[in-house]
Amino acid sequence: MKVLRYLRDAAVFAPCYLLLDWVSYIHPLGAFNITPWNPQPALAIAWMLLGGLGHAPAVFLTIILADGVIRNFPAGYGVTALASLALAAGYAAIAWALREHLRPHADLRSLRQLTLFVAVVAAGTVLVAAGFVGVLHAAGALAPGTALSGWLRFWVGDAVGVLVTAPLLLFASDAQRRSELRALARRGETYVQVGLVAATLWLIFAGLGGDPSHHFYLLFLPLIWIAIRSGMAGAIIAIAIVQAGVVLGIHHRALQTLPTIELQALVAALTLTALYLGVTVEERERAAESLKESLRLAAAGEMAGAIAHEVNQPLTALANYGRAGQMLLEAGRHAELAGVIGHMLAEAQRAAEVVRRLRDLFRHGTTRLERVPVAELLEAARRAGTGRLSVAAADDLPDVWVDRLQIELVLRNLVANAAEAAAAHAAGAEVALTAERRDARHLRIVVSDNGPGIGPAEAGRVFEPFISGKPSGMGLGLAVSRAIAEAHGGTLEARPASHGEFHLVLPFHSHG
Amino acid sequence: MAEPGRAPLVVYVVDDDPSIRDSLALMLGLGGYATRLFADAESFLVAFDAGWSGCVVADLRLPGMSGVELQSRVRSRGSAIPFVIITAHGDVPAARTAFRAQAVDFIEKPFDDAQLRAAIDTAFALEQRRIDAAELRRADVEKLSRLTLREREVLDQAVKGLHAKEIAAVLGISPRTVEVHRTRIMEKLEVRNIAELVRFAVAVER
Repeated sequence: MKVLRYLRDAAVFAPCYLLLDWVSYIHPLGAFNITPWNPQPALAIAWMLLGGLGHAPAVFLTIILADGVIRNFPAGYGVTALASLALAAGYAAIAWALREHLRPHADLRSLRQLTLFVAVVAAGTVLVAAGFVGVLHAAGALAPGTALSGWLRFWVGDAVGVLVTAPLLLFASDAQRRSELRALARRGETYVQVGLVAATLWLIFAGLGGDPSHHFYLLFLPLIWIAIRSGMAGAIIAIAIVQAGVVLGIHHRALQTLPTIELQALVAALTLTALYLGVTVEERERAAESLKESLRLAAAGEMAGAIAHEVNQPLTALANYGRAGQMLLEAGRHAELAGVIGHMLAEAQRAAEVVRRLRDLFRHGTTRLERVPVAELLEAARRAGTGRLSVAAADDLPDVWVDRLQIELVLRNLVANAAEAAAAHAAGAEVALTAERRDARHLRIVVSDNGPGIGPAEAGRVFEPFISGKPSGMGLGLAVSRAIAEAHGGTLEARPASHGEFHLVLPFHSHG
Repeated sequence: MAEPGRAPLVVYVVDDDPSIRDSLALMLGLGGYATRLFADAESFLVAFDAGWSGCVVADLRLPGMSGVELQSRVRSRGSAIPFVIITAHGDVPAARTAFRAQAVDFIEKPFDDAQLRAAIDTAFALEQRRIDAAELRRADVEKLSRLTLREREVLDQAVKGLHAKEIAAVLGISPRTVEVHRTRIMEKLEVRNIAELVRFAVAVER
């Protein structure tokens, strides 16, 4: 099975690699693959970064194959094998370094991640270029005096190729990022932006005439707009379009000698600008979001306090009247008991009224239903979790129809409870969130932990209101969580098991 | 609980919830406590007299002034009447403030009646000790007022630790007369020896 999967992956990878190599085999130095644009290393690096370094041998063989198919082994078999080994080893090293530093999520989410990515790629490709060109030079395959310029050209080509293409591949492999890309595709503004970039490219290469690099700066304007408006996802798409446009432009004016290296260096500068701007915009948005979230939590704490107060008042009076009734009974003043019991009934009624009002609050009132992608709910829970928390969702889950704030509160509450229940586990707490289809109309989110679990007798009891004595009062406790789930037409259940497990069921969005 | 022959100790209940007030009055009344009820801090302050003794049971969150604020207002009016703060919120910062302002206890609703009565009894014990001490002092001052002017002069010198001869020299009278005065003083102040006399004088001067 493992071997089969490996072969299947390789069978997808190799043709893609060959295609990219063939497309990008422009303006070479001599007959070698020393070109100013090399996107194919990005594919190799992304494959090893996401799939593991075990793919390195397949990458090595593919590089040899590509050299044979596209360039017919210009340096002979032995030198090609050696040069390909230098490439494969270099790309594997880059993938390894990125794996070490970007885990667990290689989605370039923070300034730090992006900086590490850029640094590793820039430094890694310098070494790869030195290795590749060095092998050719040592074998005497290069024309005299071209080793240094060849090294520079190869480096720029590889670095730009990876910087432009690898983020695209990393985004395509990340569910959250994919949904961001899809959201972009749904926005009219995106098409205006793409049109503007295309128009600017046309101006640079054809409309204005002269050396394209003289007018290249114009591209910074739409790129800045896109990065600010659409974050990393927009920036990455825009850069890919610019790169494609630059390559097309070079092809178009192939007869004239164009300073391709300079153009590619400009693309690199543009890429770095857009990526850094995009990530900064995203970090700021996230900071604002987390502030809103903590305000929301503070509001939940306030609400819990208010509820406790409302319920405690009648309970206190009830206890007082009860004690007074006892004293009257002891004193033999039976005639006065009727009045006291009347008061007790009234207080019990009052407490019931508070609880009923509370239930109504969740049933109508503040609940605001909207269409929410499941991935976003899980993401909110994942970000709130501490320690080891794994999140998995079945493919193609429809959106759910919920009050986002309330369901996020419930999930956070469940994750916090699970982490607390498993805290004593010898190997440390492990919490898993799994989203799956329960039936055609309902989503099921299973929150499980490696804690001791809940016995059948306790499974119903954990939902009794105000049982939990947690000092921080994370949200409103299981009782309110269940009230929220039920207000959504769903359920929340504790499953008796040898490990902790809660099932939250919510209805899918269904319009028409 | 009030003892006969003494100023009665009263539980002053300040709570905005009528059911809480009513049920507390009933329960405490059956337990033998005298109670007076107030719906908020302001109406308590309007009625308040520094001579009140007993204990105030106040809710932390009241409309307008809080129970803890009420306590500091009462203190600033020169009364040391003990406070028990009750709350349905149980928030820690408020409890800290209450204890810093020397509340006797901080009780969360709903409470056990034994818990509340224990707090009230502690408050009453404090209050009783304060009243007793004040009465003792009043009696001593009264005794002191029975001394003649000359006897006061002799007492002042004796407290300084002077012997009969020395006092005689200071006041310009014979040592024999000093001895007579001293015996009279000890009779009037109901002390048996010089040591007790000095202790008495120091206690009253305080």
